[in-house]
Parts: sequence; structure tokens; C-alpha cells
Amino acid sequence: MSNLRVGMSTAAALAAGAAVALLVSSGTVLSLLTQAVIYAVFATGIALLLRQNGMVSFGHALFFGVSGYAVGIVLQLKLMPAELAVLVTLAGIALAAFAVGLVIVRVPGVAFSMLTLAIGQMFFLTASRSRGLTGGADGMNIDWPATLFGVPQSLLARPAVMFMVCWSVLVLVMLLLVLVLRGRFGAITEAVRDNEERARFIGIRTLMPRAAVYALSATVAGVGGLLSALNTGFVSPEILHWSVSGVGLMMVVVGGYKALWGPPLGAIVYFLARDVLGDYANHWMAIFGIALIAVIVFSPTGIAGALQRLFKGRKTVLAAGAVAARH
Amino acid sequence: MLAINLFNGLVYGALLIVMCSGLALIYGLRRVVNFAHGSLYMLGAYLGYSIALQTNFWVALVAAPAVMLALGVLLDRYGFRLLQDRDPLTVVLVTFGLLLVIEDFVQTVWGKSNLSVPAPAALNMSVDLLGTPVPAYRLAVIAVGAMVALGLSLWLRYSKVGLFVRAASTDPTTTAMQGVNTDALSAGVVGLGTALAGLAGVVAAPFLSLSPSMSSDVIIDSFVVVVVGGLGSLAGAFIAAMVLGMVQALGAVYIPDLAAVLPFVIMIAVLIWKPSGLAGSRT
Repeated sequence: MSNLRVGMSTAAALAAGAAVALLVSSGTVLSLLTQAVIYAVFATGIALLLRQNGMVSFGHALFFGVSGYAVGIVLQLKLMPAELAVLVTLAGIALAAFAVGLVIVRVPGVAFSMLTLAIGQMFFLTASRSRGLTGGADGMNIDWPATLFGVPQSLLARPAVMFMVCWSVLVLVMLLLVLVLRGRFGAITEAVRDNEERARFIGIRTLMPRAAVYALSATVAGVGGLLSALNTGFVSPEILHWSVSGVGLMMVVVGGYKALWGPPLGAIVYFLARDVLGDYANHWMAIFGIALIAVIVFSPTGIAGALQRLFKGRKTVLAAGAVAARH
Repeated sequence: MLAINLFNGLVYGALLIVMCSGLALIYGLRRVVNFAHGSLYMLGAYLGYSIALQTNFWVALVAAPAVMLALGVLLDRYGFRLLQDRDPLTVVLVTFGLLLVIEDFVQTVWGKSNLSVPAPAALNMSVDLLGTPVPAYRLAVIAVGAMVALGLSLWLRYSKVGLFVRAASTDPTTTAMQGVNTDALSAGVVGLGTALAGLAGVVAAPFLSLSPSMSSDVIIDSFVVVVVGGLGSLAGAFIAAMVLGMVQALGAVYIPDLAAVLPFVIMIAVLIWKPSGLAGSRT
């Protein structure tokens, strides 16, 4: 992608978000969209690992939840200003995930999924049983200060502002990923994903890039968790449960993990569908379970893949028409 | 206190043996880690509950696994067989979808409240075991676990079909070339694995209460067992199941704060030391 195209897409995405924030007047719809955008960031993190590394994590809820807990604890103990706490939390997640990644990305295939599941569940159980600071199963409130990065809390309390903050973060995360992945790092990780042995033959050290992708994907999930903590001002063990990882993975697969915008699309579809289902929402598990199976069986590249095919198909038809007209 | 805990660890280990032998069999033939296995266990338990309510526990003990057997054969025929050329990780996600569907089905049919199944009258008493009174039913659970472990080992080791199963788990293509109908074999084995999940459910019902969360509790432990034992290895799973049962029992006595986390610590340690598990040679 050229710089121009990246810049234009970013500007267009930000403008689209602003339009939604200005035009949608219903607070409930906006907070629903905010939630969808937060999960979109989370899903983007999970998808990154799948796309660049070919690995399915069943434990990314860990990073989604731990970032909220970390900031909550730091703020409770008044160790540092909130802005610094946010940055330190993300840096901490990146470093910890990199260190863990160095060990666990060696575990192949399905065993890796189960390992991530086990690590995640371990933290879920610890968080739900620990007393004191984190409030055990009841969760903990997060003492955000009156102003965060110069934005007063009273402003953040408005649904339109909150939506715009989360949307901008999503766009920035995606921009950053595009910039990082179009360079050497992206090429190396893809080579390692497609054939680790051959990548090693041509002189690439394969462990570091894979651990780095794991750390990056964990950090993105952590950003989502911070947004969630900002949005609700609260964090509880449920967010660490493996079903949250499962739901995130579902968004990734339904949206389509091959395109960068697939997982966010999956998250938005998930929340909108859940809202539209309304009365049937009691049966959302069955409905989404069937949807998940149907997408995997009939369109392995997800909604994004189906849309791309549709678009491309029309383009080829148009091109063929143009060729025919010239003759 | 310690003796009772060790005994209960043995009971839980026996239950895990029944669960995990199903998981390991399905993995062996289809290379599928069945995330829905815990839900199948739960479905078996609730089916057993309804059948026991109409008739009695002994009928449920036979009928519920029989229904699950049929379900497993269908699952293989219209699920795993059609997906066998797909990436194993996609199939994992399909079983995750199946998990959601089954959980929803169970909650819709039986509700969300806790249900219980009384132990059958013949086993509803205490037995004196080395000076400690223990419920006879739990003793029977240990017997079921031992019988399943022994039965499966003998079947795989000495019967002709067992030989085919072992051959097909090592190399399905070559086995098919030798004239074994691997599709029929897989259908049978997935059916058997599902029936074992159902059996575990019915057996668990009188001593663990029935609730919609019963599946996720046991599936995580089962994953720990099959991964520690080595995916697809029955012997590894049997040993790991017993170790896990014991570790939890002893952990609850000596380090109650860490008991819940111990299985995961073991799993992480084993996987880092030996990524293919204790008895596993393949991944």
C-alpha cells in the first residue's frame, strides 16, 4: 500500500467515525457501537497472531483483562499518574508477552491453543479467588483521574465522545499495524508462518519474529482491554474467562482474518446481530455457533473474504465488458 | 482427612479417564481436538437425568451412552469426515461452534438451575475402606474408570478392530490402502468416544450436580490431561488423569490457595519440557 493510500484510508476512517458520532443521536446505539469497537480492537489482536503466525490463541482474554487490572491496581495504589500508568501497562504487557512468547510459540499447533487456554484460565481462577485489592469475583472499580491525556472525565462520559475515542484508537492501531507489517518485519513473519524450516534455511532466525508477533498481538488486545476499562470504569474476572477469548476468535473467523478490516467487521456484526436478535438473544449461543460453523464450512475467509470476492468478481466482469466493448 | 482426599482424587481421576479416553480416541483417528467434548459430557449427564427420572439409573447408564453413540457416528459422518482435508485448527473452531450450540440446547431444554440425580439404591451406602467409611457409589466410579481403561487397552491391543484403529491413528492413508475402511472405522471410534463422554456424564451426575457450567469445568481439566499425557496417547492420558486427580486432592490439603492453579502449572511445565506430552511422539 502506498503512503498516499494509507493516509487517505486513515482520514476516511476517522471521518466516518466522526460522522457516526455526530449523526447517531441515540445514546444506547452509541454505547453499543463503542462496545463493538472495543471488541474490534481485541479481535484485531487475536487475528494478528493468526494471520502473521498461523496460531490460534484461546487465551487472549488474558491480555484483554489484565491491562484493566494492571491500570486499576496502579491507580488504586497511586503509584504514578494515569497517563503514565496506561503506557507502563502496555509496555509491561508487551515485554511479558514477548518473554512468554519466546517459550510458548515453540509448542506446535493445537497444543499451543490449549497452552494459551491453560495460562488464561490460570489467571481467571487466580483473579476470581484472590481477595483484597482486586476484589475477587466481584471485580474492582478503576479510579480514573478527573482528566486523562487532557480530556476531562465529564466529556468522556458523553457516549459520542467515548465512541470517537475508541474509534480513533482502533483506526490508529490498524494504521500502525499496516505500517509495521508492510515492511521487512511483515515479510519475515509471513515467510516463517508459511514454512518455518525453509525460512531457517535462507538464514532467518525464526523464534524472535514469532515471539514478537505474539507480543504485538497481546499488546493490541491489551489496548482493547484499556478501552474497556475506560468505558466501564470497572474490571472483573469474567473478562479473563476463556469464553471471552472464544467470542473474540469467533469475531475473527466470522469477519475474516485474512483482511486487516475483517475482525473489526466481525465484532461490529456480532454486536449489531446480538442487538437485532433482541428477544432471541437468549439463544445467541446457538445462533452464533451455527453462524460460526456455516462461515467456516462455506466461506473460510469470512465475511471480508466473501465481500472481496464479490467486489473482485464485479471488477473482472467490468474489465471483461470493457475489453469486449473495445473489440 | 488425607485418606478421604486421596480417595476423592482417585474418583475424579477415574472420571477423567473415561472423559479423556474419548478425547484421545477421537484425536487419534481424526486429528481433531474436540472442544465440544465437555458439552457432550454435559448432554450425556442431562440425558441420563431425564431417563433416570422416567425409569431408573441403570437404564440411564446404558441408554444415555447409546444415544450419544448414535450422535457421535452422525457427528463423524456429517462433520469430521467432510472436514478431514481442512486445516486442523479450523476443525477446532467448528467444534467450538458445536459447543455453543449444545450448551444452548441444554440450557433451553433443562434450564439453568442445578439438578441432581440420586445415587442408585443398591450403591447408596457406605463401605468401610481401610477404616474410613466411603460412599459405595464413589467406589463404583473408580471401578468404571478402571474397567474403561482396561477394556480399551485390551481391545486396542488384542482385537482385530483394535489393530485397525492403532494402524489408522499412525497412518490413515496406508491403512486405507491395505483394505481397511477407515471412514467406517472413524465413525465407529468417534461414536465410541462420544459414548464415553456420555458415560462419564451419567456416572458423574450422582456426585457432581448438574449445571450449565459443568462442561467448562471438566473440559479444561480434560485438556490438561490429554496434553500432559500426549495428544492421542491413551496410556499417557490414563496416567495423567490419575496424576491430576491426586495433585488436586493433595493440593487441596497442603496448598489450598494454589490447588486450582496446580494443573495448569503442571501442563505448562510439561509442554515446555516436552512439547508433545509425556507419552506423545506426534503433535
